[in-house]
Amino acid sequence: MKREKGVFDRLFDVFVYTALSALVIVTLYPLIYVLFASFSEPGEFITHKGFLWRPLGLSFDAYESVIRNPGILIGYRNTFFIVVAGVTVNLVMTALAAYVLSRKNVLWNNAIMFFIVFTMFFSGGLIPLYLIVKGVGLLDSLWSTIVPFAVSTFNLIIMRTSFMGIPDSLEESAKIDGANHATILLRIILPLSMPVIAVMILYYAVDKWNGWFYASIFIKSRDLYPLQLVLREILIANSTDSMTAGADAGDRHQIGETIKYATIVVATAPILFVYPFVQRYFVKGVMIGSLKG
Amino acid sequence: MKRLLMAALAIIMVGTLLVACSSKDNNANKGESPAASNSPSATTEASANQQGEEGGAATYPLNTDKTLTYWGELTGNLVGVKATHDEVPFFQEWQKVTGVKLNFIAPPSGQAKEALNILLASGDLPDIIEYNFLSDFPGGPEKAIADGYILRLNDLIDQHAPNLKKFLQENPDIDKMVKTDNGSYYAFPFIRGDEYLRVFQGPIIRKDWLDELGLPVPETIDEWTSTLREFKEKKGASAPFTVNSKPRFFNDSYNGAFLGAFGVNRGFYQEDGVIKYGPAESGFKDYLGLFQQWYKEGLLDKNIATADAKSIDSNWASGQTGASVGNAGGGIGRWQPLVEQNSANAVLAAAPYPVLNKGDKPKFGQKDNAYSSGGIVAVTTAAKDAELAVKLLDYGYSEEGRMFFNFGTEGVSYNLVDGYPKYTDLLMKNPDKLAPAQAMSMYIRGSYNGPFIQDKRYAEQFFALQTQRDAIDVWKNTDASNYGLPPLTPTPEESSEYATIMNDINTLIDEMTLKIVLGTESVDKFEGYVEKMKSLKLDRAIEIQTAAWERYKNR
Amino acid sequence: MADARAALGTAKPSGSLARRRRVVKDFATNKYLYLMIVPVLVYYAVFHYAPMYGALIAFKEYSPMKGILGSDWAGFKHFEDFFNSYYFLRILKNTILISLYTLVFEFPAPIILALLINEVRNKAFKRTAQTITYMPYFISLVVICGIITDFTNSDGVINRFFMLFGYDGQAMLQRPELFRPIYVLSEIWQRIGWESIIYIAALMSVDMEQYEAARMDGASRLKQMFYITLPGIMPTIAIMLILRMGNLMNVGFEKIILLYNPVTYETADVISSFVYRKGLLEFGWSYGSAVGLFNSVINLALLITANWISRRVNNSSLW
Repeated sequence: MKREKGVFDRLFDVFVYTALSALVIVTLYPLIYVLFASFSEPGEFITHKGFLWRPLGLSFDAYESVIRNPGILIGYRNTFFIVVAGVTVNLVMTALAAYVLSRKNVLWNNAIMFFIVFTMFFSGGLIPLYLIVKGVGLLDSLWSTIVPFAVSTFNLIIMRTSFMGIPDSLEESAKIDGANHATILLRIILPLSMPVIAVMILYYAVDKWNGWFYASIFIKSRDLYPLQLVLREILIANSTDSMTAGADAGDRHQIGETIKYATIVVATAPILFVYPFVQRYFVKGVMIGSLKG
Repeated sequence: MKRLLMAALAIIMVGTLLVACSSKDNNANKGESPAASNSPSATTEASANQQGEEGGAATYPLNTDKTLTYWGELTGNLVGVKATHDEVPFFQEWQKVTGVKLNFIAPPSGQAKEALNILLASGDLPDIIEYNFLSDFPGGPEKAIADGYILRLNDLIDQHAPNLKKFLQENPDIDKMVKTDNGSYYAFPFIRGDEYLRVFQGPIIRKDWLDELGLPVPETIDEWTSTLREFKEKKGASAPFTVNSKPRFFNDSYNGAFLGAFGVNRGFYQEDGVIKYGPAESGFKDYLGLFQQWYKEGLLDKNIATADAKSIDSNWASGQTGASVGNAGGGIGRWQPLVEQNSANAVLAAAPYPVLNKGDKPKFGQKDNAYSSGGIVAVTTAAKDAELAVKLLDYGYSEEGRMFFNFGTEGVSYNLVDGYPKYTDLLMKNPDKLAPAQAMSMYIRGSYNGPFIQDKRYAEQFFALQTQRDAIDVWKNTDASNYGLPPLTPTPEESSEYATIMNDINTLIDEMTLKIVLGTESVDKFEGYVEKMKSLKLDRAIEIQTAAWERYKNR
Repeated sequence: MADARAALGTAKPSGSLARRRRVVKDFATNKYLYLMIVPVLVYYAVFHYAPMYGALIAFKEYSPMKGILGSDWAGFKHFEDFFNSYYFLRILKNTILISLYTLVFEFPAPIILALLINEVRNKAFKRTAQTITYMPYFISLVVICGIITDFTNSDGVINRFFMLFGYDGQAMLQRPELFRPIYVLSEIWQRIGWESIIYIAALMSVDMEQYEAARMDGASRLKQMFYITLPGIMPTIAIMLILRMGNLMNVGFEKIILLYNPVTYETADVISSFVYRKGLLEFGWSYGSAVGLFNSVINLALLITANWISRRVNNSSLW
């Protein structure tokens, strides 16, 4: 029996590794494409079709154009603030709500859930929101991209489900020991939910990092523009689908293509490091064993 | 990903201001301009001849210490170069020469529509707004006036904008275009001052290939077919003819290229006093038949359904394409360096709009109207000094103003050479390596739009290549003026019905076109499609257009 | 999962007095909890419910000046406009079909990926796989669709690959019957890594001891996966599924527009892309809002149904 198991398991391993390797190669390609494109000679890139095995020529022109823009540094600074402050607000608010909503025997929980979930479907639209944000005095500040988006219902649901998965016995025994809700949340629930919290950080951070639309509506001062908004303007400026009767020389158009990719690299590279960073929190079976009984 | 969905949902559903909010009380007077600006500075201007006397122009710079707020998008050409209007030499100079200080507010590039919505809803109106009220405002300019956002400028122009007034009096056909059906002036218009400026698109072909093969520039459809065949066989072109097909097959056929040879256009046009719709006419069937044949023979790009700007660039550069349709600037200008990669002596030149029989004049061709609604500037009902605003904006139509808007400042951006304003190297060979379009936008507005009259001499210099300059002359030789329609707008009540009908019809036609061209369906299906068009209320759409046309003619 | 009421006590007096007593008792026990959630409730009230009157725009002839409340009433006109369109049934069908195909084929993919990654022993490989597979999610849609178009055009890499198997070489995006497969497969490509993250996290909380026990009983890895791992993350899967059902009508227009063209309208044109084209012709927002409202109502109904089913079958639900 042991030998059969061994062969079967071995085959299974082979399958797993092969499938994953294939997937890795296939999903790596877009990133490679973007990287190579950003370093390519504009003229050569324009004419290229098919697989990109390597950068075509080697040119830093695209990056030069992008980095030369003074708005980039300002953009990074603003976005950094938005991510740090924003994710903090997000986590605190979401965790509070998820904790409450995951408790049993709370009479109004179902009603509150519906109250919250309903907002995923019906929205008043942009302008009423604008007026509210204005009324609250948040206009033209970085907080306008944080406070009105303090909780993502989707994320809240995920966190709540995860909290609900923690055995009641832990809460019970803590209560017997005289713990109040704050203690339970901070000492028991959160430490046991590190993987989910890591995912929440990732989700919220990526969301804040990528945001530009609401910033474009709520923020007037250019020195408060987040990174993505700055980059978007660069992209638009360099896209020569122009309506103006006389467009510009061909060169600017060609570099426009490679600039598009350099922009993507500049915009995306930092956030790509967040996931590897939070992966360390994906630790199996944290402390459940030790806290049992 | 969820956030994107939410944002998308939010974007779809846009709302507005609580009725309660304050500053909406001025919807009482429907924007009839209160010429009641008793500000001392306005009257102390040397504009003694204010009573609409011809030639009684105000002298610039105006004598005032007021500051006006100006809301408008910064041209895309300057994004990444300069961040705000204040940093752009043109706007700095503009304030100096007119004597009016301006406080600029610019929405982020590409977000003008949303930003304007918010602006109007929030009630913080600036004094002046630069925005395309004709095509991008729900209900149109008449509604913007009726709703109390912008002023009806008739009296103001009559009394304080003599330059514009004179120009409109001398050009009654343009005058009709810039008014609404009710005869209201709503904004200071952007005028393309010469026919040369209104034509900029047409067929483009590899002249060097023609020379090499000993072929003349094709003029008739048959000549085109045989030329393309030669391109395919002798030059190995796999996509001898390709055109931008996003969002629909041969998007530029709206301007009548190739379609015109069969007597029709892709949209509405007029013939013998009646409005017709191209795709419902028999000529359209012949056009479809031609392209179906071309596709079958391999004369048309195999990937035509997905052909976009990028694939076209690629085809030019790799020598797979010999002909296309494009702009003098964005086409020839953009593709010339690309074809040179394929072959050092490659030359792109313009070909005339094709006709059926040799010697015919092309019935349709691209020709923009003299009045173009991008860059127009309106005065809002919140303007504290409407008179001043109007005087400021009138500058662009004066002699001085025309030179300034088109050429900038003498000695800086241009020099008079034998009476001809020649752009300096600051613009054409910018020391900071800015492309001409960018450098120009720093010093002039002639290269994009604004409240002034565009001068032909800008284009003559902007087109660096002789082929570009020649192209305009080749392309402007069409009958488009006789068959084209002026910009028509349905009434606000009809506009949503019209949009519904046209959306269905366009979907139908775009599908039919590609299906037939690709050979999936036979050309004989055409009549069936026309039946469907009728059942989709095409006649009602024509009716709405006809009514709009009548109103236009009576302006 | 225990019944709330059973936990509270035994005999229950009935009637409104009893109800009031329950409420009071509940407040006494749980007042700190309610306090804790007040900030979040305020947030939703201020930023989600207060602006909700804007949804009325779907029923009005919107005029910016009059505002939403003051604009003329249009009743169901915009909805009728939408339903009476010649293409209504087609875009509805396409929307639902694309959503369903995505649900059936793309939804399980990240789960399978998470399970596979979970089985990998080699830490380095595991990390690499996790870190790379999620990257396409970050590459802008425009670039991704550009790559897809390039590969599936005639002479494109994928196209030529299939020609080896007898494909005739026509540009794949010119064939209506190929649109949905291309759409769904590329969805998987772009999303599989990112969406697997939540499942990988959920896997972390599956009890190690159960694996030990199973191994002692001689269960194979595959059996372990089916009887321990999968049930262990079932609550997460259920919730994700419910939420997905609540989004069925939301096929985003961006990707559709980047990939479709008139020849594939018959399978590719969905509600959002159709409305987008209309929006280019007309500049009011009432029509778009009406359609959005229609979508939302259906989505909500689907969510409620899915939630109810899940509660019965699985005992995990949103409420």
